[in-house]
Amino acid sequence: MIKLRILGIDLGSRFVKVALMENGKIVEKFKVSTVKFYKEYCRYEKKLLVDFKRLGIDKFDVGVSTGYGRNNVDIENFKIINELKAHAYGAIYQTGLKNFILLDVGGQDVKVIRVEKGILTDLELNDKCAASCGRFLENMAKILEVSLDELSSFYENPVELNSTCAVFSESELIGKIAEGVPFERLCAGVNFSLYNRLRPLLTKFKGRTLLLSGGVAKNKALLEYLKRDYDEVKVLDNPEYNGAFGCCFYAIKSKGGLK
Amino acid sequence: MKIGITTTVPIEVLYAAGYQVVDLNNIFISSKDYLRYIEIAERDGFPKSLCAWIKGIYGACIENNIKEVVGVIEGDCSNTKALVEVLKSKGIKIYPFSYPTKHTLDEVKKSIDDFINQFNVSKQEVERVRNKLNIGRKLAKEIDRLTVEFKATGFENHLYQISLSDFNGDVDGFINILKQKVEEIKNRKPKVKKLKLAYIGVPPMTGDLYDFVEGFDAQIIYNEVQREFAFPRFDMVKDIYEQYYYYTYPYSLQYRLEEIKKQLKERDIDGVIHYTQAFCYRAIDDIIIKSQLEVPVLNIEGDKLNCLDARTKIRIEAFLDMLKDLKGD
Repeated sequence: MIKLRILGIDLGSRFVKVALMENGKIVEKFKVSTVKFYKEYCRYEKKLLVDFKRLGIDKFDVGVSTGYGRNNVDIENFKIINELKAHAYGAIYQTGLKNFILLDVGGQDVKVIRVEKGILTDLELNDKCAASCGRFLENMAKILEVSLDELSSFYENPVELNSTCAVFSESELIGKIAEGVPFERLCAGVNFSLYNRLRPLLTKFKGRTLLLSGGVAKNKALLEYLKRDYDEVKVLDNPEYNGAFGCCFYAIKSKGGLK
Repeated sequence: MKIGITTTVPIEVLYAAGYQVVDLNNIFISSKDYLRYIEIAERDGFPKSLCAWIKGIYGACIENNIKEVVGVIEGDCSNTKALVEVLKSKGIKIYPFSYPTKHTLDEVKKSIDDFINQFNVSKQEVERVRNKLNIGRKLAKEIDRLTVEFKATGFENHLYQISLSDFNGDVDGFINILKQKVEEIKNRKPKVKKLKLAYIGVPPMTGDLYDFVEGFDAQIIYNEVQREFAFPRFDMVKDIYEQYYYYTYPYSLQYRLEEIKKQLKERDIDGVIHYTQAFCYRAIDDIIIKSQLEVPVLNIEGDKLNCLDARTKIRIEAFLDMLKDLKGD
């Protein structure tokens, strides 16, 4: 085992997730809102210069970053890896599995990957629209004046929401509120419409077990719906940090330490 | 006189009978009109949801005015059987050939003897042709060896081995081409790549695969079926019967896998690309292939187009990227 302090940073659309790995184990993890991260902890001089001290990290040997858009994640002296790979490594690290399908639903994007014998063999990404992502849930929760946690607990008897656009869905939901549809059914409807948009991405990924990561993995209703399509749906222990953990684990793998 | 073939058959017999052999697959895939060949088949009623090779072979046969065809009715897919029936109904003379289901030397001998009788040639003449073809096979084997040394490209390995299914319709001419090619390749400096890849499954519709992977510090240094088409064990068998007995492609998957495993080990392969054709039953083989091979396997699928689609490109790129991590520096 390599005795290294590895810093993994996953720059997501809503949060920046940071993980520190020491001797092959995650010893620290935290998240900062993305806007706050860029505003308060970074400077930009051709590359991203991060004030690690301010971020509370004193020392590390290797830095690996991932996230959306190459320029946004190009931290000085960091190795950039693509998000799909980061998630593959993250899930291998968190589960010890070498063969799996992983669905990652983040703030603005969705990815599905298939890993066989520890290697990525298939993938699917959502289009530019965020209607199947966390941001959609946040907006709908705001309209329903409910917390994300409460919103996600309703899955039975969902009201039908047909809009394919996240913004049009808001007015459709308001229409349903006006019609007097019960609150529980409205919440379930939001969750179900999220699931419905994820489904086409999963058609090429039939299997027995599905792993779930990303902030939206905390959505209990989504879990219930996905159980209809898979024998087993496992939410990773640290679903939000999967990408960041993957960055750390990649550093070990690429050094040949845990080959 | 030209005779068309739909897959590799004992061409020694056909050349002995004085035919010019034309592999319809090669005409189809090397033509700039390849999509039109498919279109011809679909207009004549071949389903949309059918292997593009079958349709391409049909179109190539009709368009190039081929009047005689060897139809493999056992040991190839059932689509070929139906294709042969349609060709027959169009007035094309069909000579049936079978790779026996029961894979014994005796059965293979019976089948080849039957083939020899259909063309009314002598066994001696067939062996004489076989010896001549062996000159080309030896050269193709040399190209295969030079690929492992990273001197020949993955595409050259594919092309020159696959072409031995019919010797491009001109045995002497093609042997000369091979001779020149071997000389040219021998004098090259090796372009060593980090990843050694194997390609298994039917030859690809998407020939750009070879160059594509080479852009990622990887090279295909083993082409399973193409190598089989070139009969690499020509120098270890005593006659035509043994040659077609030790041929792996038309027999059981297990038999194929034994040879694949051997080659993966000998060539120190890092990853395998298993190509399957859309709508082909061989896609089911992937279940067994993945469970039996220790190295990572990427299954890609081709349909009508002769170049890789964007999604497949991303998949290959991600696969190679992680294979490289595994290999370290």
